[in-house]
Amino acid sequence: MGTVFTLAQGTFGEAIRRKILNIFLVVALALIGLFFAFSSFSMREQMTITLSTGLGVITLAGVFIAVILGINLVPAEIEKRTIYTILSKPVRRHEFLLGKFLGGLLTVFVNIALMGIVFILGVWLKTHSMDSQVWQGVIMIFFQMMLLCSVALLFSVFVSPFVNFFLTFAVFLLGSMSSITESLAHQDGHKSQIACDFFWFVHFVIPNFGNFNITNPIIHPDVQVQNMGLYMGQTIIYGVIYSIIMLLIAILIFDRREV
Amino acid sequence: MAQDELSPSTGAQSGAAKSSDGYSGAISSSVSSGSAPMSGEIAIEIKNLVKRYRNLITREWVNAVNDISLDVHKGEIFGFLGPNGAGKTTTIKALLGLIFPDSGDVKVLGEAPNNNAIKAKISYLPESPYFYEHMTAREIINFYASLFGLDSRERAKRADYLIDLVGLASAGNKPLRAFSKGMLQRVGIAQSLINDPEVLFFDEPTSGLDPIAHRDIRDLILHLRTEGRTLFLSSHQLSDVELVCDRVSILYRGKIRKIGRVDELVVGGNVEILVKGFKTTPALAAEITGLGAKLEQSGPDTLIIGGSDNETKNALIDLVRRGEAQIIAVTPTRRTLEDIFIETIREGEVEAGEATKFAEASTTEALEVK
Repeated sequence: MGTVFTLAQGTFGEAIRRKILNIFLVVALALIGLFFAFSSFSMREQMTITLSTGLGVITLAGVFIAVILGINLVPAEIEKRTIYTILSKPVRRHEFLLGKFLGGLLTVFVNIALMGIVFILGVWLKTHSMDSQVWQGVIMIFFQMMLLCSVALLFSVFVSPFVNFFLTFAVFLLGSMSSITESLAHQDGHKSQIACDFFWFVHFVIPNFGNFNITNPIIHPDVQVQNMGLYMGQTIIYGVIYSIIMLLIAILIFDRREV
Repeated sequence: MAQDELSPSTGAQSGAAKSSDGYSGAISSSVSSGSAPMSGEIAIEIKNLVKRYRNLITREWVNAVNDISLDVHKGEIFGFLGPNGAGKTTTIKALLGLIFPDSGDVKVLGEAPNNNAIKAKISYLPESPYFYEHMTAREIINFYASLFGLDSRERAKRADYLIDLVGLASAGNKPLRAFSKGMLQRVGIAQSLINDPEVLFFDEPTSGLDPIAHRDIRDLILHLRTEGRTLFLSSHQLSDVELVCDRVSILYRGKIRKIGRVDELVVGGNVEILVKGFKTTPALAAEITGLGAKLEQSGPDTLIIGGSDNETKNALIDLVRRGEAQIIAVTPTRRTLEDIFIETIREGEVEAGEATKFAEASTTEALEVK
C-alpha cells in the first residue's frame, strides 16, 4: 500500500500545480462570489437561487476538473515517459493505476473542498444560519466527481485523451439524465422493443450521476427526501461500488496493455 | 552486491572540469580503465524475440523486432546499436516487461522481467527522461527510493549519496523545472542507481549533452563497469561504445546483423605506406593493385594503401624497394566501430533491396551517429 500512497502523493503534487485546474477553481470562486450579489429578490428566493446556482457552479467546475484530470492521469505519464521509470521498479500495474487514481481524487477533493468552504462561509455570512443541505450538497458533489474520475480513468487506459474527453462528458450527461433514460426504457406501445432494450441497457450500464444532485430538492422544496442520511449513504455506497468496478475493469485492461 | 561498491572516490572531485550546466560529479575522477570481472553466468537472455506492430495507415504488420537472440553475461557492458527505428527501444521495453513479445522469450537474471523480485535488482534510464517537475532532485530520488520500500532514513542517505555522486550537490534542493537537460540526465542516472542494481538498461544516456556532461556520464559507465555491474547500453555515440563496451550487436530492421567483441569486430584495418621517388612502371602498378592495394600520387610522394596483414604489408614493401623508392612512413590504420556500423547498415540495405536509397540513408545515419 506504501507504493500506492507514494504514487498518489506524486500525482497530487503534479496535478495540483496544473494551471488549467487553477483556472477552473478561480472561475468557480469568482462565480460563487457573484451569486451573493443578488438582492432584488425576496430573502427566500435569494436563498433558493444562491444555493442551487452555487452548487451548480461547484458541480460544473468539479466536472471539468475531474474530466481533465481523469483523462490525463495515465496518458500523460506515457507521453512524458515517467511511466517507464516507475513500472521498471518494483511497482505492479494495479498499484500504479490505484496511485494515479487516488492522487487524482485527492486533487478533486481539495478543489471541491476549497470551493465548498468558500460557498458554505458565504451562505453563513449572508444568512447567519447553516442549511444542512449546503454541506450535504458539497459532499455529494465530491462523490459524484469520484465516480466521474473513475469513468475517465477507465477510458484513459484504452482511448486517447481527446476521445476520452467527449466520451466521459457524454457518459456524465447521460448519467445525469437517468430518470429520462429510465422512462424511455418503458414500453409505451409507440417504441420498438429494440429501442426499449437499448434504453434499459443505457440506464443500467451508465452510472446514475443524477442521484448525487441534491440541488433539485432545494429548487423544489416540496420534494422532500424522507431520510437524507440514508439517501446519502446509499448513493455514496453506490458511487464507491461503481467506482471500484470501473477501477477493476481499468486494471484488467491496463495489465495487458503495452506502454 | 554491497552498497559500498557504488561509492565513488570523491577525493579526486576537485580536479574535475565543470560542464556548461555547471555541475560535475565525483564520477568523472573515479574511473579506472580496468575491465569488468565478467562471469560465465547469463544476466540477460533473449531467445527468438519477435515483436510486431500494425501500421495504422496501411494496416500492415511490421516486425519491429524480428527473431533476435542474444545473451549478455554478468559483469558485461553490452552495446546495443542500430539506426533509429531499428528496434532497440522495443527490445529494451520487452526486457523490462513494459511490452509483451509476440513470440520468443526474454529473461533477466534468469526470470521473466515482470517480476518484482527481479525489478528490485535492475534499473532503467530512458532516453530524455522526464520527472515530476515540482519536486527537487532530492525529493525525486526519495520518491523513487520509496518505490523500493526503503525507510525514510535509508532514503535520505541514498538521496544524499547519489546526488553527490552525479554532481548535483549544490542543486539538490532546486525544483527540477529549473534544471537543464544535462542536469535532468544526471537525475536520471541517480534514480537508476537507487537500488544498487545488478543489471542496468541505459537508453541513449548521453543524447543531447554538452561535452563535459557527456564525458561525466561516459566515465560513470566505466565506473559501473569496474564494479562488475551488467550494463545493456543503447547509444548512437559509437566512439563511447567502442571505449566502454565489451561486446556489441548491430541491429537493423529488427534483426541482429552483427554481434561480437569490439576488438574482434574492428580488426582488419589498412596500412598506409608513404614513399618518395617511386618509379612506377605499369608492371609494378599491376602487381600492387593485384594485392588489393591502391596508389595515390601527390607530387613526388606516393601513398600506397593496402591490407594490414603481414603478408600483404611485406609484399608491398618489396614492391616499393623494386621501384627504388624511399620509405618515409608505414602507418597502420585501424577500423573504427563507426566503419563497422556503416558497413553493416549498408549490407542490410543491399539485402533489403534498397541499395539505391543507401546514399541518402547512409548519410543521414552517419550524421546521426556522429
